[in-house]
Amino acid sequence: MNQLETILEKEKGTSYPQRNKELFSFYILTLINQEQASRKLKRKLWISLLLITAGLFFLLSPISEMMNYFILNLSNIDTVDIFIMAAVSYGFLFVLMVLLKKRIAILS
Amino acid sequence: MEADEELVRRTLSEGSHHFGVLIQRYADYLFGLGMRLTSGNKELAEDISQQAFMKSFTYLKSFNSQKKFKHWLTGIAVNCYKDLIQKENQYLSLNIKDEPSYTPHLEGNTDFFNLIKPLNEDEKVLFTLKYVYEYQVNEIADLLNQKLGTVKSKLSRALEKLT
Repeated sequence: MNQLETILEKEKGTSYPQRNKELFSFYILTLINQEQASRKLKRKLWISLLLITAGLFFLLSPISEMMNYFILNLSNIDTVDIFIMAAVSYGFLFVLMVLLKKRIAILS
Repeated sequence: MEADEELVRRTLSEGSHHFGVLIQRYADYLFGLGMRLTSGNKELAEDISQQAFMKSFTYLKSFNSQKKFKHWLTGIAVNCYKDLIQKENQYLSLNIKDEPSYTPHLEGNTDFFNLIKPLNEDEKVLFTLKYVYEYQVNEIADLLNQKLGTVKSKLSRALEKLT
């Protein structure tokens, strides 16, 4: 029992200092901030996904009606209309590409 | 010196930079606890301390200001220690004969580490908290969320093993 007490007394007197506490604290805070940022980003992504899904749902719901109209009027369709539609589609795609490039540049 | 509870409140209301003071205040304490529980394994002790701070920040909102922050932090550190030991055991149970062996960097009072060697993880925790950090049995039961009777019986079993 005496030996046990001696060892315990010695251990109580031993100190184990964490090396460079300031750096350690800075490192932990950096990890914490990183985790918070990643959590925020995930939340934003989920919200964006929800909004996109909702938007697609609203856009796609009248699509069958539009398709029916397009098929029924296919014989009457004007080539000029097709060119206009193609130009608008490509224009829209171009704008989306530019926005996407800008977004990627900001993230990187 | 600002009280721990005040720093917790300010961390929650004003931002994580106030938590830095708490980290610096308890860095030595948690590292020391980790060193004692892991028998002087510096790398594991640093991991325990790091994870305990990270977890405590994550669950800071659930901290009950009626209790002592140090006790709450100790409970978290003990859980981190148990998780890490479990992971280490899983890793060691893998067949890694062909892998180069890893020798941990051991430091500290070897007499104490040899003394607590026969104890299991749970007993090491209880013995260290009671006889090195001089916590009361009811405090240990409270911070580890265990029944008072369980802590007492485990402690007496640990003492039996050592004497």
